[in-house]
Amino acid sequence: MREAISVPYFGASLKEWLFTTDHKKIGILYLSTAYIFFLVAGFFGLIIRFEQTSPGIQLVQPDFYNYLLTGHGAVLLLWWAIASHIGGFGNFLLPLMIGAKDVAFPRLNALSWWAFFGASVLVLLTLIPGNHIKMMWTGYPPYSASGDAGVTALYVFIIHLVGVSSIATAVNFITTYIKMRAPGINFWNTNMFVHCLIAANVIQLVGVPSLAGAVTMLLLDKYLGTNFYNPAKGGDPLLYQNVFWFYSHPVVYVQILPVFGFFSEIVPTFARRPLFGYKSMIFAVWGITLLSFEVWIHHMFVSGVPDWARVIMSYTTILIAVPTGIKIFNWIGTLHGGAIILRSPMLYALGGIFMFLIGGLTGIPNAMVAIDLGISDSLFIVGHFHYVLGMALTLGLFGAIIYWFPKMTGKMYPENLGKVSFWLTFIGANLFYFFQMVVGMLGNPRRYPDYPPIPEWVTLHNIQTVGALILGLGVLVFTIGILKGLFAGEKAPDNPWQSQSLEWQIPSPAPVDNFGEEHPKVEPDYHPYKYGAPPVF
Amino acid sequence: MEQVLAFPAKWWNEAVTVWLVVAVVIYVVVAVPGLYFIMKYRFKPGEREIGDHEKHGHWGLEALWTIVPTIIVLVLATYSFAIFKKQRTAPPDAMTIKVTGFMWGWQAEYLDEKGNTIKTVVTTFNPTGYEVPDDQKIVVPAGKPVKALLTSLDVIHSFYVMPARITEDMVPGRITHLWFQINKPGEYWIFCREFCGTGHSHMFTKLKVVPPEQFTLWLKGETNLANKSNQIKGNL
Repeated sequence: MREAISVPYFGASLKEWLFTTDHKKIGILYLSTAYIFFLVAGFFGLIIRFEQTSPGIQLVQPDFYNYLLTGHGAVLLLWWAIASHIGGFGNFLLPLMIGAKDVAFPRLNALSWWAFFGASVLVLLTLIPGNHIKMMWTGYPPYSASGDAGVTALYVFIIHLVGVSSIATAVNFITTYIKMRAPGINFWNTNMFVHCLIAANVIQLVGVPSLAGAVTMLLLDKYLGTNFYNPAKGGDPLLYQNVFWFYSHPVVYVQILPVFGFFSEIVPTFARRPLFGYKSMIFAVWGITLLSFEVWIHHMFVSGVPDWARVIMSYTTILIAVPTGIKIFNWIGTLHGGAIILRSPMLYALGGIFMFLIGGLTGIPNAMVAIDLGISDSLFIVGHFHYVLGMALTLGLFGAIIYWFPKMTGKMYPENLGKVSFWLTFIGANLFYFFQMVVGMLGNPRRYPDYPPIPEWVTLHNIQTVGALILGLGVLVFTIGILKGLFAGEKAPDNPWQSQSLEWQIPSPAPVDNFGEEHPKVEPDYHPYKYGAPPVF
Repeated sequence: MEQVLAFPAKWWNEAVTVWLVVAVVIYVVVAVPGLYFIMKYRFKPGEREIGDHEKHGHWGLEALWTIVPTIIVLVLATYSFAIFKKQRTAPPDAMTIKVTGFMWGWQAEYLDEKGNTIKTVVTTFNPTGYEVPDDQKIVVPAGKPVKALLTSLDVIHSFYVMPARITEDMVPGRITHLWFQINKPGEYWIFCREFCGTGHSHMFTKLKVVPPEQFTLWLKGETNLANKSNQIKGNL
């Protein structure tokens, strides 16, 4: 009956898209923008990889290489790793999962999107040769305050716009969760994704102002002659690093927590049983959130900060392994006694969890200050965070895209392409990043377009390039799958995965007015992971 | 007993081994059951269609996998703390050199007992190759701890003594430090590992480790060390 009155919300006119305040449309806008930027920054990554295949400068000159590295890092972190799942999935899913009509402040939400759009335009402006930024996404002064670094102002304004967007979104989502839940939805039966999303936005709210302050001082130093970071006039370059990492470490949890949410949604659905240790998962999420602001010095273990600070933050950093471990153990626990269906979203989720396991275990030596003194700023670090933020995150997002594709578009993602792209991505990424860690352990510094012809290094770089090619092919197949699903996909049923969660109890694609009335009726014993009945396929 | 190549690399290697063993054990303990469950608890129509929906968790297990990892990581952090103290404290008999970074190279100064500079090595920027002219190698005696005081003239650089597995940033306006000891004469890589601009990947030099008597000669200004050293031995 509701089917008859629901029009696909994405079939709206251009004018409606431009002026929309609908959380679902804004979510789609974020997600598609982030995906396009992901492809571009990923392509940058491939050029970076090819340049390192053998010693010497072959493809790109060092200055352009530095621009590619800066763009690759900044865009993948801010667009792919934050905007896609907070702006994209957060917007789309939060009101649906808590049974609300929209977010608390729909117009503020549209403002967030347009600020983010402005930042996207600025990023495109840096593609113009004279506008290259070459100081790495970290933008350390004094280098970033020098002429060699490129157009620092563009970098600062990009951070400001993304920051405005993030803070507005954080206020919006936190308020939405507190005030807009359907009667019957409470803290102990909220989806894990929502728990993770809210924790991530609390970090955004506390942290983003710190980063904005760091880059604002940088702007003043470079263009208006102040001396916050200038040691010749009593400033201190390490001030920047402290203020920068105070947010930019916690941001990795902003990036990975929603992905933990994806894993926690997908694994129970395809294991046909409740999420194991749901309550300890919630404690783990908030434990990570709390600890995340106590660990930033581990990015500065060799920066010249006092030894006592390094030791204290070594302990706090390594302690974060505990709540993170709890989450992995609980996902494995969920598999025990399940009735596991290996559809492509499940493959992606399980692959992501295995990548995260390696990423987590290789994070421990970065926390152990004694080991870090020998591997800091080496390719080991790069390999490590590509396991975590690169691939665990990307596999999680790919899984999430396939999983919620029916609800967003009304079509099914082609299952065979999902499986093929998973295996290509998973094998390629492991081949690439594992050997990147090995060459880093041998001493290869990071951010090097060229390196001395040490035989073992050359061999290891060759293997990485092969891995990168397979990985690139996997992403290509996945992208073809999106297009094929959109234009020629099967019509999706309302609840293709037989999930218990609220967002699946409405038609596919989600109707414009979500649940039709203010709130859906939530049964007293509702729980998103109450899998008691056999699925009907 | 095998001779130790370098300090603090010896302890660093031990720490890496400890971590690797712990990591591999944890990986096996987590991944093997995980893979086993994926194989065993598979959906089968008519046979296994629903999961174990009564079990929502197990407080005993969850407490176990909170407490045991906490103990493991605290032990690892404390072990690393003990090594860190040794890495950061140069032995009292260490000789001191001053190294200053710039875009893109280093200046190393050797001091006499009073702290005056008696010899200086300056590297020049070579954007194409990785060959180091002999007079641009930083020479240190074998088997002697060397403490390096570090700073920078322009942007942040770092000083990575590869055989010793030790890095420290060179920050303008600050003096940072590290120490190392290489026991085997030979030539080893030194790199900058903190991003410092266009020439970053070509900010390198060689550490030339020579027997102590050759080092004394070198400090006095002799360039052809091996030859001179043999000559002296011959005279004796």
